[in-house]
Amino acid sequence: MVSSMAGGLIYDIKLSSVGPGKVIEPDVVHEPGDMDLAMKLHYLKAIYYFGKQAFEGLTTLNIKEPTFILLNHFPATCGRFRRTESGRPYIKCNDCGVRFIEAKCEKTMDEWLEMVKENASLEKYLTPNQIIGPELAFSPTVLLQFTKFKCGGMSVGLSWAHVLGDAFSAAEFMNTLGKVVANEKPNRPINLAQMKTKSTNTKIPEKIMEDPLSIKRVGPVGDNWITVNNCKMEALSFSVNDTQLSHLQSKISSKGTNFSPFEALSAVIWQCIAKIRRESEPKVVTICKKSEQNKADGNNQLISVVKADYPIVEADPSELAALMKSASFDEREKIEIASEKDDGVSDFIVYGANLTFANLEEVKCYEFEYREQKPVYVSYRIDGVGDAGAVLLLPGLPKNGGRNVVAILPENEVIELKSELKREWFMD
Amino acid sequence: MPEMLPKFSTSVKLKYVKLGYQYLVNHIVTFLIIPIMAAVSIKILKLGPEEILTIWNSVHFDIVQILCSSFLVIFIATVYFMSKPRSIYLVDYACYKPPIMCRVPFSTFMEHSRLNLKDNPKSVEFQMRILERSGLGEETSLPPEIHCIPPNPTMEAARNEAEIVIFSAIDSLMQKTRIKPKDIDILIVNCSLFSPTPSLSAMVVNKYKLRSNIKSFNLSGMGCSAGLISIDLARDVLQVHPNSNALIVSTEIITPNYYQGSERAMLLPNCLFRMGGAAILLSNKRGDRNRAKYKLVHVVRTHKGGDDKAYKCVYEQEDPQGKVGINLSKDLMIIAGEALKSNITTIGPLVLPASEQLLFLFTLIGRKIFNPKWKPYIPDFKQAFEHFCIHAGGRAVIDELQRNLQLSAEHVEASRMTLHRFGNTSSSSLWYELNYIEAKGRMKKGDRIWQIAFGSGFKCNSAIWKCNRRIKTPTDGPWQDCIDRYPVHIPEIVKL
Repeated sequence: MVSSMAGGLIYDIKLSSVGPGKVIEPDVVHEPGDMDLAMKLHYLKAIYYFGKQAFEGLTTLNIKEPTFILLNHFPATCGRFRRTESGRPYIKCNDCGVRFIEAKCEKTMDEWLEMVKENASLEKYLTPNQIIGPELAFSPTVLLQFTKFKCGGMSVGLSWAHVLGDAFSAAEFMNTLGKVVANEKPNRPINLAQMKTKSTNTKIPEKIMEDPLSIKRVGPVGDNWITVNNCKMEALSFSVNDTQLSHLQSKISSKGTNFSPFEALSAVIWQCIAKIRRESEPKVVTICKKSEQNKADGNNQLISVVKADYPIVEADPSELAALMKSASFDEREKIEIASEKDDGVSDFIVYGANLTFANLEEVKCYEFEYREQKPVYVSYRIDGVGDAGAVLLLPGLPKNGGRNVVAILPENEVIELKSELKREWFMD
Repeated sequence: MPEMLPKFSTSVKLKYVKLGYQYLVNHIVTFLIIPIMAAVSIKILKLGPEEILTIWNSVHFDIVQILCSSFLVIFIATVYFMSKPRSIYLVDYACYKPPIMCRVPFSTFMEHSRLNLKDNPKSVEFQMRILERSGLGEETSLPPEIHCIPPNPTMEAARNEAEIVIFSAIDSLMQKTRIKPKDIDILIVNCSLFSPTPSLSAMVVNKYKLRSNIKSFNLSGMGCSAGLISIDLARDVLQVHPNSNALIVSTEIITPNYYQGSERAMLLPNCLFRMGGAAILLSNKRGDRNRAKYKLVHVVRTHKGGDDKAYKCVYEQEDPQGKVGINLSKDLMIIAGEALKSNITTIGPLVLPASEQLLFLFTLIGRKIFNPKWKPYIPDFKQAFEHFCIHAGGRAVIDELQRNLQLSAEHVEASRMTLHRFGNTSSSSLWYELNYIEAKGRMKKGDRIWQIAFGSGFKCNSAIWKCNRRIKTPTDGPWQDCIDRYPVHIPEIVKL
């Protein structure tokens, strides 16, 4: 266990655990669905930056106390993975808890944010980076890191295993924490009891179907739930304000069709990446969108795939945008069948199987308030992305509008993309 | 012959014979006096009223004789009342309830254990087996510093824990008894393994601004039975100081004593000891007689330290790596049994009804003279006490005592449930158990309670209380939010 990272930039690291305040009933389990298990090699990382007032005068115990109330409502996050006899993973809700990390940063928050603008990968020091494994039964699925800056500001880092749910679920988790801190009662039941079901799936296997395009088989990774990349993945993050956005949208729109910010930005970035990748330009991309159903927990994103039959580099961005707009075929069922084929034992990746664009515009990440203080800045990223890379579209600061884009790509592509975007589309 | 005996004794006939015998022997004085008084009154009535008057007039008393006899009577009465020890009353007590942030579920304990003892999987395995069979539940508490991976027990963290536990308990007690800090005359704090300078009692004096002429004591190193040693000390000091009260704080501070090595015999306390503390107010004031909850009847202390094995059975030492921990010897249960026998031999004559003492005497004589193979008679302590508070040292201790004293499951319920809910809180566990009995509404006026504690040394101490007034089921206290879930069935082995 290290007590400092990044050459002393982050220091005084302390580990402990927080768990639910109430004892859970015995034999409660959470059984992730096939879609959830298909996402198990991905990890969502979120950082909420708060100014001085939010955490002023609070001791560690003061900060821990609301988490004990919060976790009464999220028994699955406190459990640990086990495997059934057939090897299918499930979570035993045993109150083990969430890992809690405290750290200090020797820079002020403003200095840090400046540094991050240049090098977004620095943010990995503000979130815990433990994966699930090698011992499933002793690996937490959710980790929290509270890093105090020299100026008194605090960043709240969340590591959320994607198998528990998508970015919408993770945001819901943090927003509920904010509610608990404000002494509001979360409108979720406590300790959703779910008794262990005997494996019911004695479905006759359908005719052998090919894996859908949106996923890629990897591994087997065994009990080490992370995919191995051929190259180091880095993150690039930049913001697009409303003016730039509308300028972009108008530039791309053709024949009167208006494209949403997501379609416009994705088309533009798709083309830039194609230019960078030259011969191996991505002809197939995966698109993740929020599903229309209003389910709270779990992996409920709509996953679809678009294929371009023509060279991307020379295409008109509006064609690409139109292609993205037309993507509607939900591949989730196909993914679930592939995942269920060997009872959840196979390992897949979704993000990075192809170049993936995830529309997280509607993630309520700015709703997490701590003692009535809104976050100064929020950043989300995904770890465990495959080599093809992923681009996340996040909401911008509420008062500024616009969007935040996070691109997770092989490290050599990141610099090129930055310059490409600057040159072609005047974005910084 | 022995098999027949149990069958015979469970038959209804013998039960009634036993009851009759007990009633006869326990009330022998009444049974003797009644016939004598009856005979005398019959004789007097036979005489007739005139004869009674003549006898009365013939007996004439000298004024000197009358004065002398009255002085004698007054003198004897005064000597009796002066030499009678002052009655000591327990006004009230309060137990510390740890906050939810200190809760340690089994799974968290095991995970932390695994991370802290990365290089010793056998020790981790051992801890898991202990925990499975320990009788502890999922709501016991450890202090905040021990939740860290790895724990870093600084002096400051230990003092913090002491402050949280002790001040909470005292605040709670002061609220219940409405006593002011300047009214406290005697202060005794007992905490075995944490003894800073200035002492914990000085810490209490400082926090509550107690009087400068307070009689303060700090007992350290005396193990889990130190709570009753404090009660004994308070009783003795209260004999010397009339019209006074004594505040006793019993606790054990876990932070500095969490064993960080991997020796198995020394890992056991980590699995059992948990955070807890109690504050008790004793008084010898007349005014407290009516509002006090309990009256102290006896305190009996037995020390087996003269025997080397007993002395070394709970021993603090360094392991081969230099890490300090408490080594529990394998003979602990046997030594505990012997210490218990010693203690109840002294207590027996003080509390047992005459019937049980007679039986015990007969079997003792019989064994010595007639046949040594006779089973020793174990006096039925259930006749002397309504409630038993056995120190929740561990499941084995409670099992052993239940067997030795032939107690039913209900008698040891308070001990087992305290072990389950709070773990082994050392000297304060007796007070959590007493609180359990009150919270269940089982305490009635006149009930007699026996508190037994074991501790390093090896010591076995007992305190006997009598319930002084009707006790309303408490609405506050550590059991308040969970008493309805108890009693729970505690399985032999919990599957982790």
